[in-house]
Amino acid sequence: MNYRVSDLVNDDASLISRRCWTDADVYGLEKKGIFGRAWLFLGHESQIREPGDFVQAYMCETPVILSRGQDMQIYANINSCSHRGLPVCRADHGNTKRFICPYHNWSYAVDGALVSIPQESAVRNKPDKSQLGLKRVPRVESWRGLVFGSFDPDIIPLETYLGDMRFYLDAFIDRFPQGIEFMGSPHRWQLDANWKLPVENQLGDVNHGAFLHSAIIPREAQDLIEELGYSVVTAPGHGATFRLMPVDAPIDEIAWGMEGMGGMFGGAEVQDYLREVQTTAMERVGPIRARMKGLTYGVYPNLSFLWSNASFKVSHPRGPGKVEYWSWAVVPADAPDAIKQVLRTNYSSFFGPGGILEQEDSEVWVQQFRGSNIDFADDRPYYYGLGLGEEKPHAELPGLVSVTANEFYARHFFARWRDELLAVEGQL
Amino acid sequence: MSDMAIATNPEQQRALERFYFREARLLDNRQYQQWLALVTEDIQYRLPARVNVQVDNRERGTEQMLSVERELEGADSMGCPIREENYIHLMLRVERAFKINSWSENPPARTRRIVGNVELMHRSGERHTVLSNFHLYYSRPGSASFLYSGQRRDVLLAANTDDFRLQQREVILDYADIDLPTLGLFF
Repeated sequence: MNYRVSDLVNDDASLISRRCWTDADVYGLEKKGIFGRAWLFLGHESQIREPGDFVQAYMCETPVILSRGQDMQIYANINSCSHRGLPVCRADHGNTKRFICPYHNWSYAVDGALVSIPQESAVRNKPDKSQLGLKRVPRVESWRGLVFGSFDPDIIPLETYLGDMRFYLDAFIDRFPQGIEFMGSPHRWQLDANWKLPVENQLGDVNHGAFLHSAIIPREAQDLIEELGYSVVTAPGHGATFRLMPVDAPIDEIAWGMEGMGGMFGGAEVQDYLREVQTTAMERVGPIRARMKGLTYGVYPNLSFLWSNASFKVSHPRGPGKVEYWSWAVVPADAPDAIKQVLRTNYSSFFGPGGILEQEDSEVWVQQFRGSNIDFADDRPYYYGLGLGEEKPHAELPGLVSVTANEFYARHFFARWRDELLAVEGQL
Repeated sequence: MSDMAIATNPEQQRALERFYFREARLLDNRQYQQWLALVTEDIQYRLPARVNVQVDNRERGTEQMLSVERELEGADSMGCPIREENYIHLMLRVERAFKINSWSENPPARTRRIVGNVELMHRSGERHTVLSNFHLYYSRPGSASFLYSGQRRDVLLAANTDDFRLQQREVILDYADIDLPTLGLFF
C-alpha cells in the first residue's frame, strides 16, 4: 500500500485525504476492517413475512439471501453454491421451498441447508450434506423489524451497537401504532462514486440543501432548518439531524408526511390520517420526540434513513469508484393500502433514481469522485474542520449535539473509519 | 383491449405521428414549456419499477411466464413505482430545467430520440389509447453516453383529430440494472 492510514485522516479528522475515496488498497482495508466486522443492514421483516419468503441483499459486494425459514426464523446466507459458486437465487424477491443451482441442480432449503445433490446416487462415497449448506452469515439480529447481519461471530449485540441511535430511530418507527414497513423492491442504481459520500450526505449534511438544491428548495426552508435544527452524533458514525418544533407549532407543521408531495396533494383522507398519527404520537414516543421532525439519519457504516422523504437507503460499494445505491419507500404499517400508495410518493417524488432532488445529489457524488481521483494534489486534503470542537452534550437529547453546520458528524465517522482501518493495516 | 391496433386510415395515423414527432422535437430542443402545453392538467405520468421476478412453476410453457407485466411494480401495485407524477411534478421539473442551478443538467445533456411503432390500440370518443416505442440517446459533458430504450403507453385526448393532449403516460423502461445517470427525464 502506498499510504499509511494515519496519513489519510489527521488526528482530529479535520483533514481527509483524497485517497480515502479512490485508492484500491484503502478499499481492501475497508472490506477487511469495516465490512467484515460491522453490523450491516439486510432488510426489513415486513419483506419476509411468510415461511419461504426471501429477498436479495448485499454485505459490501457479497450477495446474500435474506429469508424466512419454515420454522419462521430469519436466515441470511451467502448466495453462492457450495459446488461451483454460482448464485442459487436469481430473483429479487419471492417465495420458494428450494434454491436450485442452475449448473448441476444442487438444491438448498430456504434456510440454506443442502437438500439434494442429483449426481450423488451414482457415486459410492456420499458427501456429508450437513457440511455443504450455503455459507450462513454467522450473526443475524433484528431490532424493530430492521434486520442486520455480521460476518464477525463475536460482534457485540445489535442493540448495543445501535446504542442511543435507537432513541432517534424510535422517534420515527414508534411514532406509528404498528411501526413501519417497506414497500416493494428496493430501487437500485449504480453511480461512479465512492460509497462513503452518499453515507456522509445522509449522516448529517443538510448544509448543502439550500445551495445544491436551490433550484427546488427555497431559502426559507433552509432558514427554518438553521433556526430549529439539531445535529446529533450518538456514537462515531451514527448520527441524526432533525428540527425540534416549538411546543405550540400547528399540527400540520409537525406531523410526519405533511411536507411531502403525497401529504400535500394526497387529499383529505391522507392528511386526516397523518394528523391522527401525530395526535397520538406523544403517547408512544413522549413529548420531546413527538415534536421531532427529522431530516437525515445514518447508522455506521452504510445505512441511511431520510425522515422527510421516508426512505431507507444503503450505499453498497462496488470498488473504490463505484457504488450501487439501494433505497426503499417506508410507510406506516397500519395505514390502509390506498394511503400507503399515496405516501410512497413522499419518497419517490424527490428521491430515488428519478427523484427531482436526488438527481443533483447523484451528480455531485460522481463529480466528487472525479475531483478526488486526480494527481498532484495529495498535499491538499479536504477540509472537514467546520465547527471543530463546538459539539456538546444536551440535557434532553442523547449524544453530542450541535448546529447543523458543524461537520462533526463527518469527523466522527472518519475517526472511527481510521481506527478500524488502523486495526487491520498490516493484514493486507 | 384487442391485441391488434385499429386499422387507422393514413390521415389518422399521420395525425398521431405528427403529434409524437413534434413532441420529440420539443423535448430534444429543450422547449419544455411548449411540451408542458401538450399535457392535460389532470395528467398521470408514471414510470413503474422493473424487477427480476421468480419464475412461477405453474406458468411454465405459457406466455404468462415471460410476461413483461409480471416484472412491473406499477401504480396499482403495493410495490414502489419509480415515478408517479401529476401536473405539479411535471411543472416543477420544467421550472427547474430553466434555473441555472439545476446542476445535473448544467451544462445540459444532448438528447436525440426516435419514436416509432406508433399503434392506436383503442378509441372511445376523444380518448385514444396509443402505444409507441422510443430510443433516446443521452450525452453529457465529461460523462459517458447512454441509451434509454422503452415503450410508452399513452392516453391522448383529442377534440379534433389534430389537437391531441397527453392525459396519461406510462413509461416501460427496458433496464435490468440501472446504470443510467437519471430516470428523471421527460420520456
